[in-house]
Amino acid sequence: MSSRRSHSRHSNASRITEEEINELVSKLQMMLPDAPIRRNSRVSARKVLQETCSYIRSLHQEVDDLSEKLSELLASTDTDSAEAAILRSLLMQ
Amino acid sequence: MASVPSSSSSSPSQPKTRKKPGQNSSPAPPPQTKWRTGTQERLYSRRLVDALRATRDRTQVQESVGSRAVKEAADSALALTARGQSRWSRAILFGRNSCRRKLLVKAGGKIRRHRRKQHGVPPVAAEPGVLKEQKVKERLRKLGRLVPGCRKLPAATLLEEAADYVAALELQVRTMRALADALSAATVSAPEEEETAAVDPMAIAEQGS
Repeated sequence: MSSRRSHSRHSNASRITEEEINELVSKLQMMLPDAPIRRNSRVSARKVLQETCSYIRSLHQEVDDLSEKLSELLASTDTDSAEAAILRSLLMQ
Repeated sequence: MASVPSSSSSSPSQPKTRKKPGQNSSPAPPPQTKWRTGTQERLYSRRLVDALRATRDRTQVQESVGSRAVKEAADSALALTARGQSRWSRAILFGRNSCRRKLLVKAGGKIRRHRRKQHGVPPVAAEPGVLKEQKVKERLRKLGRLVPGCRKLPAATLLEEAADYVAALELQVRTMRALADALSAATVSAPEEEETAAVDPMAIAEQGS
């Protein structure tokens, strides 16, 4: 495979090889929740990136939902029981 | 900062059993394991709690804590737990502290003013063959928009940051969910029990039988 570097303006200061890119892509692929064991370097980089984007978006969405839930909970509980619950959750880990 | 560790995929991720006390050493552990250690979870949950408590104290006078404040506190706590080792965490932290607009216009970080969706020249660095395709570049750009502060990075750095960010987000979700569960459990049982009484029957029920 010829890696065309005719467009590189910042030249080869970091010298990113294709292998490194592929490694990073496969690392991302393994982190996705979609049974990464199945995929043995058959998934294109494009798809991995796409799934990563949607995964990040869904994670953002979960964070938003949890934030709402937490803000409601914080508003409804009084300080003492909230502190107790927090301590409990900290200890349980 | 943009260095790829050579021994990245040496061992699979073992959640919560690997304790890495000194994570400041130069070979950076891969994101999956790094963000899944029990240490990180405890660190993050503690920071999250502190941030939430600070937020609540601040807004107690006016109103109840808004969900956006919670999310911002959670994000800041997450960025703190990353200890500024990744770009997205620095972008989050700098976005909170100083005057956002003025500072970040110069840095060109995550300000959305410069939203150039389809400008003519795509950001090019020394990229190998597989990344030359148009669709891949589009996806990369999308990814750069999702991860805070990573819009103009070269591909390899962006991929690294994305992996770290994904793992961190997973940690965030896990911790917030655990906290929400604990709080909702407290809300349900709050009017019945007091603090000291809450601990004893649970402990006795689990160990006594």
